[in-house]
Amino acid sequence: MDISFEHVTHVYSPKTPFEKRALDDVSIHIPSGSFTSIIGHTGSGKSTLVQHINGILKPSNGTISIGDFVIKANEKKQNLKALREKVGFVFQYPEHQLFEETIIKDVCFGPMNFGVSDSEATKRAEESLKLVGLPSSFWHRSPFDLSGGQMRRVAIAGVLAIRPQAIILDEPTAGLDPRGREEILSLFKDLHKNLNMTIIMVTHNMSDAANYSDQVIVMDGGKPLMADTPQNVFAQAERLRKVGLDIPESMEFLKMLTEKTGERRTITAFTLDETADAIIDILNGGKEHV
Amino acid sequence: MEKIIEVSGLSYRYTEEHPWVLKDINFTVNKGEWLSIVGHNGSGKSTLAKCLNGLILPQRGIVRVGGYNTADEKTIWDVRRLVGMVFQNPDNQFVGATVQDDVAFGMENHGLPREEMIKRLSEALRLVKMDSFAKSEPHRLSGGQKQRVAIAGIVALQPLIIIMDEATSMLDPEGRKEIIQTVRALNKEHHLTVISITHDLEEAIHSDRLLVMNDGQIIREGQPRDIFKSTDLLKKIGLDLPFAIKLRNALRAKGVPLKDTALFQEELVDELWTFHSNM
Ligand SMILES: Nc1ncnc2c1ncn2[C@@H]1O[C@H](COP(=O)(O)OP(=O)(O)OP(=O)(O)O)[C@@H](O)[C@H]1O
Ligand SMILES: Nc1ncnc2c1ncn2[C@@H]1O[C@H](COP(=O)(O)OP(=O)(O)OP(=O)(O)O)[C@@H](O)[C@H]1O
Ligand SMILES: [Mg+2]
Ligand SMILES: [Mg+2]
Repeated sequence: MDISFEHVTHVYSPKTPFEKRALDDVSIHIPSGSFTSIIGHTGSGKSTLVQHINGILKPSNGTISIGDFVIKANEKKQNLKALREKVGFVFQYPEHQLFEETIIKDVCFGPMNFGVSDSEATKRAEESLKLVGLPSSFWHRSPFDLSGGQMRRVAIAGVLAIRPQAIILDEPTAGLDPRGREEILSLFKDLHKNLNMTIIMVTHNMSDAANYSDQVIVMDGGKPLMADTPQNVFAQAERLRKVGLDIPESMEFLKMLTEKTGERRTITAFTLDETADAIIDILNGGKEHV
Repeated sequence: MEKIIEVSGLSYRYTEEHPWVLKDINFTVNKGEWLSIVGHNGSGKSTLAKCLNGLILPQRGIVRVGGYNTADEKTIWDVRRLVGMVFQNPDNQFVGATVQDDVAFGMENHGLPREEMIKRLSEALRLVKMDSFAKSEPHRLSGGQKQRVAIAGIVALQPLIIIMDEATSMLDPEGRKEIIQTVRALNKEHHLTVISITHDLEEAIHSDRLLVMNDGQIIREGQPRDIFKSTDLLKKIGLDLPFAIKLRNALRAKGVPLKDTALFQEELVDELWTFHSNM
């Protein structure tokens, strides 16, 4: 299910004093089965962009295609229910998508809404809640009696239970504790690798964008500034800094070190292991690395 | 040192059907210090924060803020005036129809004179870089913009104590640095007491003191440098190590003979640099 945007513009509250052009002539391509991260400073249009992919927002101009689904400006809405069975969405603020009486009912809602039987939905719900690390002692409680990080886990479980082909995650690790972050990110990495699921993740964590994605899209003022591999995107530290972004902390560290040793070259290293190897190279007299 | 908050024997559960989520909590906060609270999801950090401004009252134990017992109805407004709280989800905090109404609302409640309100309003919005959004509706902002406005609303009140419950979790890297620097300046120059609840260990290592929560209890308390020596314990309770420590350990495993002291990235850079110069 390839996803592409062609000349998409989105204007909030048009022809009012609040008019805001949040997307401005955006054309991007997200290949089926890819892991794409979207980065950009506050207000650059990331959430607006991804909300077009499952029809929460409609374009003011342009066309979005998601596999066979085509969403065009000024055209009647497509069968959004069928689209949402294929494309799951985890909101930036998870409490916006919780509403049932109990957590387990909340997670069952998605699959049942798409015609899955009661017992199968329960099975999937239990499986998904285990995957996101919410202990079973919580399952029969209200989803509103939870801590922030626990709510986020339930919201993610709710989307996993639908078993979509693509998942959109709007800052999925905000509010998760360090172990939770790692577990949830490797969960998505596995889904991407093993089930060929398309993952689209909005994130403010440059290291996560670098370590997990095949493609990084950089948004600035409602336009895509770059769309490339993490290696190519994060090699451009100056350009990223100009738009309020950064390089991953591993590269930041190498930069501090090479500034001292006087080498002044950009080393692209994302994992701890790569970073340690690059440092050892520097200590050994700066042999070319990477 | 002057104790601005004193918590003793605090226990709390949301209802009788629910389990105890704070269990016999004891600690104090010094005036003007930067205290960070870390802990796994559901360990009780936000519940504890709500006890510190009297939003919820202990079922056992006592919470004193600036000498006032939070359970005393007569002085609850004095407590609220001392403690400004930025909530984990800013949506729960907005009351005004526009950004400027929202920030002004808190000040009106505190009975500030009009001129002073106008002055503080524009200062606070400028500090968080939201001045151009003064007339926007809060619910029409992006996630990070909402967090900035929520912070402005509290900064404008100039409380003695600020509690930030994951208040910068949705800001871009630059925005996060700026906000932390702003609050740090208030902490240093105006002796603002800061309690920061965070999952960001790179932020936590810069605090004066750290509380580690696990399942409703404080299991460690002390300076970041000491706390992060307990590698195994932290891993066991779902936490992680700061970047410099992880990198240092990776380098040691590969045979680089480093000391086991570096906590800040700058320290590790210096150590590697010395090492490099002596080779
Ligand atoms: N409902 C709305 N009405 C009017 N303007 C809006 C609305 N929602 C968002 N905006 C504006 O559109 C712009 C883009 O918002 P968006 O939520 O897409 O940003 P974002 O990149 O996701 O930011 P963040 O990192 O803070 O979440 C912002 O300037 C925001 O103020
Ligand atoms: N309104 C509520 N009713 C009942 N239980 C609640 C309520 N709010 C929170 N809890 C429970 O209390 C415990 C502590 O929650 P709290 O929100 O204080 O955790 P936290 O440390 O802030 O977690 P997080 O890092 O996820 O924000 C959790 O187990 C949670 O499920
Ligand atoms: Mg957003
Ligand atoms: Mg919390």
